Amino acid sequence: MSERNEQPDPDAIQAMMRHRLTRRGFLRTAGMGVAGGVAIPSLLAACGGGGTSGKKIWDAKEIFSGQPGDMINFANWPLYIDKAKDPDGNVYYPSLAKFTKETDIQVTYKEAIQDNPVFFGKIQPQLSAGQPTGWDIIVMSNGWESYVMMERGWVYPLDTSKRPTFDQYAVGWAKDPNYDPGAAHTMVYQWGLTSIAVNHDLVTAPITKLDDLMDTKKLPPASVGMLVDDMKDFVMKNLGIDPVTSGPPEWKEAAAWLLKQRDTGVVRGYYSQGYTDELTAGNVAASMAWSGDVVYYNVWGGYSNLEFLVPEGGCCAWADNMMIPAYAANPVGALELMDWYYRPDIATDLQIWVMYMSPCTATKQGFLDEAQAAEEKGWKGYASKLYTSAKSEFIFPSDEFMSQEVSWMRQLKTQDEKDEWDAIFEPISEH
Amino acid sequence: MATTSVREPPVGPLPPVRRSAWGITARRRLAGYGLAAPGVLWLLLFFLIPAIMMVYTSLQSGGALEGYSFTWAWGNYAEALSGRGVFFGRSLEFSLLTALGTMVLAFPAVYWIAFYGGRRKSTLLFMILLPYFVSFMIRTVMWKFILGDNGPLLGPLKDWHLLPTNFRVLATPFAVVLGLIYNYLPFSALPLYVALERIDPALIEAAKDLFANRTQAFLRVVLPLSLPGVFAATLLTFVPATGDYVEAELLGGTGNYMIGNIIQGEFLIRARYPTAAALSIMLMLGMVILTSIYARFLGTEDEVVAAAVTA
Repeated sequence: MSERNEQPDPDAIQAMMRHRLTRRGFLRTAGMGVAGGVAIPSLLAACGGGGTSGKKIWDAKEIFSGQPGDMINFANWPLYIDKAKDPDGNVYYPSLAKFTKETDIQVTYKEAIQDNPVFFGKIQPQLSAGQPTGWDIIVMSNGWESYVMMERGWVYPLDTSKRPTFDQYAVGWAKDPNYDPGAAHTMVYQWGLTSIAVNHDLVTAPITKLDDLMDTKKLPPASVGMLVDDMKDFVMKNLGIDPVTSGPPEWKEAAAWLLKQRDTGVVRGYYSQGYTDELTAGNVAASMAWSGDVVYYNVWGGYSNLEFLVPEGGCCAWADNMMIPAYAANPVGALELMDWYYRPDIATDLQIWVMYMSPCTATKQGFLDEAQAAEEKGWKGYASKLYTSAKSEFIFPSDEFMSQEVSWMRQLKTQDEKDEWDAIFEPISEH
Repeated sequence: MATTSVREPPVGPLPPVRRSAWGITARRRLAGYGLAAPGVLWLLLFFLIPAIMMVYTSLQSGGALEGYSFTWAWGNYAEALSGRGVFFGRSLEFSLLTALGTMVLAFPAVYWIAFYGGRRKSTLLFMILLPYFVSFMIRTVMWKFILGDNGPLLGPLKDWHLLPTNFRVLATPFAVVLGLIYNYLPFSALPLYVALERIDPALIEAAKDLFANRTQAFLRVVLPLSLPGVFAATLLTFVPATGDYVEAELLGGTGNYMIGNIIQGEFLIRARYPTAAALSIMLMLGMVILTSIYARFLGTEDEVVAAAVTA
């Protein structure tokens, strides 16, 4: 694809985007390939008695006091960044290229994360042994693994005085998220919703509420995809429970619903990845889904039969956060790059590509400007898609929508809680 | 397979020797150990040390948040096993079906190649192996594509109303076993081929001269002589298939999890290394017991050696 502003070719953009796989829906296989490699180091680490226990205390001022190094190693999820092709046909990342041009810091960008727990398992041995992971920035969702990383001092606390763009443009909640007060360790990369996607070719009646996902009159057997990590909070939310304050009795309620659903035979599988492949292949009629995946397929991918919707009971939100793992070689440069992604033009370019929600408040205007510019150049289709997207609650959620329909997820805070949570929900997907 | 355990020991009982030959004896003794060293080292590095570490891990307690520590936590075993019997059972069932299925498919094919392949034997065998040059993961994912509910196979059949619209292959136990059989076929075909190819066709002629019909010749000459191959083929498919989890993950649905999926989940998703290690050890011990029983019934030393050699 050509960089949009310089070499106009909206058809090419769409054609390329159509072939893009979804970032989260990347084949589970990638994770599996990793599994073998992970086993030995993890085992070794586990054998070492788990390394240092207790929290490592870092001094942010000291860590971020020096000059930036000349190289940043950035680990992110597949297909989660803007891409372009140079005249020689090599793929590059415009947002990173601009950063390098401006700061002279090289960025090695790797799509190294396919799954939060699996990536955690990969870097955990080094971190518990007090060794560098090789990464300067990693992107992980809020949740148990991120929490453990912060609790054990495996990510650096950030020098909050050194992120001016963030201070200026970050959306209110992202400056003080519930999982990381004061955004002291994390900065949101993108955020999104967990809700339902339907394939209108396959559902026989409208899906409007949670119970429809176990209605065998509306859905054929083995035709519903469930997201194994998100389904617990999503079901709680739809049962009228606030996941954030929920406890074991509420968890059991959700588990009971999930078990009932499984018993109807309507569930195709419990996915942590790969549900989009099932959706686009027509194997599932309805699936729990992440907003950007489905919006992306719908807007850029030409899948007009797919729709992302929020049921009557609401949906859940999550955030993918940039963090600097402990012992990173270039924390100063890393923080600079994290701040870079809050620049309105950079954040807009990124969001148009990934179609998730941006933590930068200026991207809506960015979409509109881009649409207007496109219109002036006569790219009507592209412009209208941007205009439509700018109105979508799933890309630019209104405060009203957020407060009425959306809950954050339960943050587990102790090992006992985690064990109890697992014990309640494990038997559903492990089947 | 450990060849060292079944072959003649490096140094057999020596004949009585005169004192003057002591030096030679010692050298022979040392040479024996020297020759065995690579094998011993191999086992030490890739079996014994990892196995000890796994046992050590399985006796730890703790969690991701506070770290793990060694506490002789034997309870991990009982805890790991509770509610998991069904997955051991399912793995056993699937892998037995795999061993059987690969045998049924591979035996006639390699039989024909071994006895009627002529000059093209190698080419024909190579053709069996050819698909396996493609990455294991890609092949399995392609089955998912081929067998999709509206994929190239079922789609047209549904369009022609030869199948009901809700018919599916994916997300069924059948799909899992099919994937396993497909992926393990060469591990069955190769040892069977080696065994069958070694059979002298003159023996079959001899059987016929002694008034055996074709069936009798097959049952009383070919089949017994191919047993080493059958034994090796079973082991090489049954053992790895039991611990497999990829097919169940990609081609299966709910209710198709194998023990490998459980171990993978404990290890990679929930980071409960002790539980995962305990399950792995129990799986390993179970396999050793089962294969020993099998070897007792079907295997002689010859067969074990054959298995070891082909492995």
